[in-house]
Amino acid sequence: MALQLNLLHEEITEQRQRQRDPLKLGVIALIAFGVILFLYYGWNAYQTIQIKSRLNAANSEWQKVEPKVTAAQKRAAELHQIIDSTMVLNGLIDGRFYWAPFLARVSHCVAPNIQVTSLDGGIVEADQSVAVALEGIAAAREPRAAAEDLRQLLIEQLEKSYSAVKVNFKNLEDLDTVVNLSGVPTASARFVLSVTFNPKPGDDSKAEEPPKDTTKKK
Amino acid sequence: MKVKKFNKDQIQKIALSTIGFIALIYCYFNFFLGPLNKSRASMTQAIAEVQEKTASSKTELKKTANLEMQAKQATVRYEALKHTTAEGAPIAWFPPKMRTFFNNQGIDKSAARLESSGDFKQPELSNWIRDTWVIELPQSDYDVLGKAIAELENTEPLLNIQKIVIHAVPEEPQYQQVSLAVQTVLLKK
Repeated sequence: MALQLNLLHEEITEQRQRQRDPLKLGVIALIAFGVILFLYYGWNAYQTIQIKSRLNAANSEWQKVEPKVTAAQKRAAELHQIIDSTMVLNGLIDGRFYWAPFLARVSHCVAPNIQVTSLDGGIVEADQSVAVALEGIAAAREPRAAAEDLRQLLIEQLEKSYSAVKVNFKNLEDLDTVVNLSGVPTASARFVLSVTFNPKPGDDSKAEEPPKDTTKKK
Repeated sequence: MKVKKFNKDQIQKIALSTIGFIALIYCYFNFFLGPLNKSRASMTQAIAEVQEKTASSKTELKKTANLEMQAKQATVRYEALKHTTAEGAPIAWFPPKMRTFFNNQGIDKSAARLESSGDFKQPELSNWIRDTWVIELPQSDYDVLGKAIAELENTEPLLNIQKIVIHAVPEEPQYQQVSLAVQTVLLKK
């Protein structure tokens, strides 16, 4: 058997110890791991840059759209205001009471033996109904009957166009003075009629009215 | 199996390597990957928000275009109503306008005076003002008056007669003394 002499025994052991140095191995492992982490970071950073470019594109598109949108919002608000105002104004216009047809109806009811001396009418703000006071003189053999005829005629005529028509005597009194009617001295009576009605024609409001006699003579 | 025992120096080195490893992990996640992910998340969120804003804005643009078409009639009507208000203070132009109107209708004498002025309760009419005028017609024939009132009501949509008082003139039975309380809706200028 050949004799083997290892004269470098100590050097080899020392070299092996150097190679297996835990600190050296640790540093190598750390560097390797660090490189992996760096690559992973790089991949993430690349993705982030892509996202940033997408964000920039989205922002530039928004900057193009924004002035148009601001103008559109302003215009939309303006249009809404116009539409709403027009609707309210149309409501006011449509809700008006037209006095000319009413005056025409009254004039058609006044017979030659009736003289209307005063007409005082107005719109009641609370319910938008119309209240009119008619004052005048009726001349006939039976002046009270002539005044009553006027009242009946007014009811008949006004009911054609309006609802909830009420025509009542506020005052009806015989006058001592005799009126000359077509050359004939005729007895006369002074009357004051209160006329109220709803300007809107409608059967519903009429149906809601309780049936009652509105004639009231003094 | 032979178990290798580490000496004190080796144990210290292993501990040092472990500490270095932990420090590396800590620094990497706290100072590099963490902020990067954070900024990426915030940018993704910002993109979603901007895209949503852009999309809703495009919808808004379409809606406004549709509204513009729908509001065409209302706009024309509104412009026409606006033009019923003349330039300047109403007290300066309304009474002469009424005088001219009644003159044209055959009623020579007329006078209009401002009774009251106020705002509307409706918020839609914040740009409009409500004026109440009293128009005196001291000498008018009933038929002529009726026609004049009809014409006034038909030509002035924003004028509303609130009260009408007609009295016979005792000395001249063919004439009536008339007082009209009219309300006008005028654009604030």
